[in-house]
Amino acid sequence: MDMPVPDPVILAKRARIVARLAGVLPADALITDPTETRAYECDALTAYRCLPMAVVLPRTTEEVAAVMRACHEEGVKVIPRGAGTSLAGGSLPTPDAVVLGVARMNAVIETDYPNRFIRVQAGRTNLSVTGAVEAAGFFYAPDPSSQLACAIAGNIGMNSGGAHCLKYGVTTNNLLGVTMVTMAGEVVQVGGPYMDAGGLDLLGVICGSEGQLGVVTEAWLRILPKPEGARPVLMGFGSNEVAGACVSDIIKGGLLPVAIEFMDRPCIEATEAFAKAGYPDCEALLIVEVEGSPAEIDEQLARIKAIAARHNPVAYREAASEDEAKRIWLGRKSAFGAMGQMGDYICLDGTIPVSELSFVLRRIAELSDGYGLRVANVFHAGDGNMHPLIIFNANKPGDLDLAEALGADILKLCVEVGGCLTGEHGVGVEKRDLMDVQFTREDMEAQLRVKDVFDPGWLLNPAKVFPLYVTASRRAA
Amino acid sequence: MRPGSEAELAELVRVANAPFVLRGGGTRGIGAVGPGEVLETGGLSGITLYEPGALTLVVKAGTPLAQVEAALAAEGQRLPFEPPDMRGLMGRSGESTIGGVVAANASGPRRVQAGACRDSMIGVRFVDGTGTVIRNGGRVMKNVTGYDLVKLMAGSHGTLGVITEVAFKLLPAPEMGATLRVDGLEDARAVEAMAAALGSPFDVTGAAHMPGLGSFVRVEGFETSVRYRVGELTKVLSRFGAVDEADGAVWQAVRDVVPFHGRDGDVWRLAVTPSEAARLVARAGAEAALYDWGGGLVWLLVAPGVDLRARLGVFAGHATRVRGAGGTPAFPPEPAALAALSAGLRAKFDPKGLFNPGLMGAV
Amino acid sequence: MQTNFTADQLAIPALARSNEILRSCVHCGFCTATCPTYQVLGDELDSPRGRIYLIKEMLETGRAADARTVKHIDRCLSCLSCMTTCPSGVHYMHLVDHARAHIEATYKRPFTDRAMRFVLAKVLPYPMRFRVALLLAKIGRPFARLIPDARVQAMLDMVPKRVPPVSRNDDPQSFAPLGARKMRVALMTGCAQKALNTDINDATIRLLQRMGCEVVVPRGMGCCGALTHHMGREDEAHGFAAANIRAFMAEVESDGLDAIVINTSGCGTTVKDYGHMFRSGAEAEAARQVSALACDISELLVRIGLPQGEAKGLRVAYHAACSLQHGQQIKSAPKDLLKRVGFEVVEPADAHLCCGSAGTYNLLQPEISKELKARKVRTLEAKAPDVISAGNIGCMMQIGSGTGVPVVHTVELLDWATGGPKPRALTEV
Repeated sequence: MDMPVPDPVILAKRARIVARLAGVLPADALITDPTETRAYECDALTAYRCLPMAVVLPRTTEEVAAVMRACHEEGVKVIPRGAGTSLAGGSLPTPDAVVLGVARMNAVIETDYPNRFIRVQAGRTNLSVTGAVEAAGFFYAPDPSSQLACAIAGNIGMNSGGAHCLKYGVTTNNLLGVTMVTMAGEVVQVGGPYMDAGGLDLLGVICGSEGQLGVVTEAWLRILPKPEGARPVLMGFGSNEVAGACVSDIIKGGLLPVAIEFMDRPCIEATEAFAKAGYPDCEALLIVEVEGSPAEIDEQLARIKAIAARHNPVAYREAASEDEAKRIWLGRKSAFGAMGQMGDYICLDGTIPVSELSFVLRRIAELSDGYGLRVANVFHAGDGNMHPLIIFNANKPGDLDLAEALGADILKLCVEVGGCLTGEHGVGVEKRDLMDVQFTREDMEAQLRVKDVFDPGWLLNPAKVFPLYVTASRRAA
Repeated sequence: MRPGSEAELAELVRVANAPFVLRGGGTRGIGAVGPGEVLETGGLSGITLYEPGALTLVVKAGTPLAQVEAALAAEGQRLPFEPPDMRGLMGRSGESTIGGVVAANASGPRRVQAGACRDSMIGVRFVDGTGTVIRNGGRVMKNVTGYDLVKLMAGSHGTLGVITEVAFKLLPAPEMGATLRVDGLEDARAVEAMAAALGSPFDVTGAAHMPGLGSFVRVEGFETSVRYRVGELTKVLSRFGAVDEADGAVWQAVRDVVPFHGRDGDVWRLAVTPSEAARLVARAGAEAALYDWGGGLVWLLVAPGVDLRARLGVFAGHATRVRGAGGTPAFPPEPAALAALSAGLRAKFDPKGLFNPGLMGAV
Repeated sequence: MQTNFTADQLAIPALARSNEILRSCVHCGFCTATCPTYQVLGDELDSPRGRIYLIKEMLETGRAADARTVKHIDRCLSCLSCMTTCPSGVHYMHLVDHARAHIEATYKRPFTDRAMRFVLAKVLPYPMRFRVALLLAKIGRPFARLIPDARVQAMLDMVPKRVPPVSRNDDPQSFAPLGARKMRVALMTGCAQKALNTDINDATIRLLQRMGCEVVVPRGMGCCGALTHHMGREDEAHGFAAANIRAFMAEVESDGLDAIVINTSGCGTTVKDYGHMFRSGAEAEAARQVSALACDISELLVRIGLPQGEAKGLRVAYHAACSLQHGQQIKSAPKDLLKRVGFEVVEPADAHLCCGSAGTYNLLQPEISKELKARKVRTLEAKAPDVISAGNIGCMMQIGSGTGVPVVHTVELLDWATGGPKPRALTEV
């Protein structure tokens, strides 16, 4: 993976830039020593690493604006960072860039239950947004697996999804407005505590722009009343194909579970070791969750059970208690981390049409055999968002390259069957060079125009999302 | 002009040097457009792909909305956002197209639960102002590959490009629905009642208040579930007044703003924080009002030519004049910084200034 | 995560172990969310993931520790909340222990820092020295404001109003069970604890006797080694540990032991790790046996089973000591026992967060410690308890210095509920 050659002009005036930043920030909000910037050289994608010129940790929108103004005037690139949990390398620095971390901006500004929104600083973690409103019977719906740690800022940057978006949608569907600082240091408010934009849907394009259009410092989020109850059911099947067919039938059956999650054998074994959720011994596992009152849940599960029965499940178990339900989900949400016990991994994120599930799983198995690398599958089956995890050995020379080549083949397969490269993790640097598999030059050009408008100098997170050859002339200008 | 294919349309735009007024079915366009030659999308019609098992529909922009809805109904599915029919309100005839729905981001009462039109859109194709065909999103439900131009195109009222094809995610149509009514509530009280219902765990899919006609709450789903939630919501609402069940036809009246049909005056549409709605309505001095989305959307009928924004003053939200004319622009003016971004986008996507000149802020 | 150790480095057992730990980390960042210092400071460097990174670089290059790295490692509470959270099973405890030893070996701290640590290491683990120090400090406290060093002030602030007389129960001896003997257990009497509060061991002995245990206080037992271990003073720590292993094994080999009971959970975590500490060498088997016998008092009581008690009408806010909930993964046992004997049990929000005591942490990092104490006291008091209970003397002192609500050891409440005297903290109210 290539990164642009650092700008020698910027490197040469490092001292001046650091001094300017020191002038607008408290001492503990600026990190410049390489021993310490080291901790910011990557996010949750550790395959790529680079020390930034400096790291800033502002506490207010005003401090963010001051940093942005200084960087803008000096022509310094800025890499926004939330909690650093990106699996796509969304906050990978370059040597001529300043990392702007918003983790300290984690306050709740306002909660409004009658109008069903919460306004938070963007560094607040996803789960703690729900934590702030759950006593009143509400929750924030998007629930990425990293929700314990990931920040709303990053969720907005990547338009993060989660297990429950089958019913509740992803970040963009639950975002009412933002306060954003532009690269020029201007503070703008887009949207607010009301529904739908008045003019062009700028909020819609800001969400998912991977920190390339502005630094979001505050957000109005839609909160929803917590359902009366929820119950997951575990279904084990003898093969991936049968499990895939069952998913398709559930959706066709007019049911809309809040989540349908899929795990294959390697993944079941790794997560079971951590969470002890009592997952059945089988080739493929579905976790299907429905919500409502006990009677409503019973009714939906009865229908789901009838559909599942047609596929001869080897195990079928409804969670009997709140505690069991929690353990079932803990297993699923820890799947990526638990995989770390098997080896290093690359986590892919392509989405496919649900109807292609069986075919794609079979092809992945063939590709996996061909490359001689193990692939574990855990994903949101209801919406076709796959998460194949390619297991490799990072300390074995050449293994990473091999894993990346397999990853590229799997993602190309996703696009070939009518899907896309990334369903919720974002492109980052990880899938940057595959963008031209999915998009024509013109398709990408249209997207670049949006950045031209928000960040004409191409200073914000510029080496991400689009292949470098596509953005070269703009970054050079 | 009425191109018969996307390629033909692209060529038309590529060589054009005079503006167009874009038109789907001509049933819901707002604001003064033009001058320019009318460019119709009706020639781009038909369902490209419909996979009920994947809850996915891809459809050409000029396809009549009615045709889309019929095809989905045949499979027991529907568009989640309940697109309104604006003909009665706007006093127009013609056949609404799916592209027009998208361009207006037109969403009905279910928006409060299932999201707006833009929330159901998963892919789009359009021809930009240089005559280039652009594709964004796709046909899968979760997709964050590149920037989300799908959202940007939704509600852009034909100012960034000519939409040629749209992909939607769908929902199964529910087995049944039920509607509860509370009579005689003052507006502010009605908004509180709707907030109580929407803040309950009973999955309300519509909450509207039509002064003089009552306040309404809808639930949908499997029969036993609907009956249960009707019971629970009755308890929630009974502290506001007597609760009874009403005919579900009321939702079409809400969706299409039927109480305003045939009445003179300008029609405005407010997006507001619900708890502020009644106060703003009082300040508006309107002849009639209708609250949807639990009070988040307010329709107002006011005397012709009234500058409603001047009356309302500053508030969180925005006001759009849907019907009528006058000095003040139909679309809400944006703060300078946002207006600059919007103008910049428009200049980038439509450098020759071909599409709907005069609409949505200055060109 | 990829690591870069040479074959020569990996031949060193300590580095090999650290490499194994680092390789299991996937850098997912989950640990940041439950790390108390990250909650307070909001800097990756003060989170487990950041520290792992600092340690990785320091160990890989084999360089001497530098002031910046030391600053961030020193700020770690060793509460091990990260280990509970980590889905990849990263053994942070062993890694940070290794880093602390490396720092101690390669880094020369500023003079005041060294002096402070020397004094702590030479006083705290020795009950008599500590008792004298406490009495001297009581005299010195009025002058505390004259001393500029916040750490010294913190020390003086921590000195309790009452320094109890020596309890003869802590002398080596054996207590006969009431009734038939069901078990023979050794009680680890602790070091700092018995200078600060003698009621805990007294209550433990009474309760165990009542439950049919012969309770032995072995001869030759001392500090578990945790206090010095966390300061990176490995040799001293291992010295303490080795003495304890000998003391316990003497009892095992004479009349046999069913358990080694520990009522200071910080010590429990360390004793349970003796097996790892002495994994190679002559003591390996003995250390393994001692670790296997070690159990927290709450674990043993669950095993024995306490009689169901009448409702007491007393609301107990249970504070989970980190060494119990994270270090030993004992989460429900103390709460279950309290409920069983008749108390109403409530828990504070963010129960996973440390109170800031953490061994000598409150003395060495007073600012962060104070902030954590304030948070903990706030969340505890929000539950309007009649009494706060904890299973670790450090937490009791820390929380007790920030609230008017009485703070007692869980075992004092259990003793009281099963026929023992009312805990002193409750009678004084």
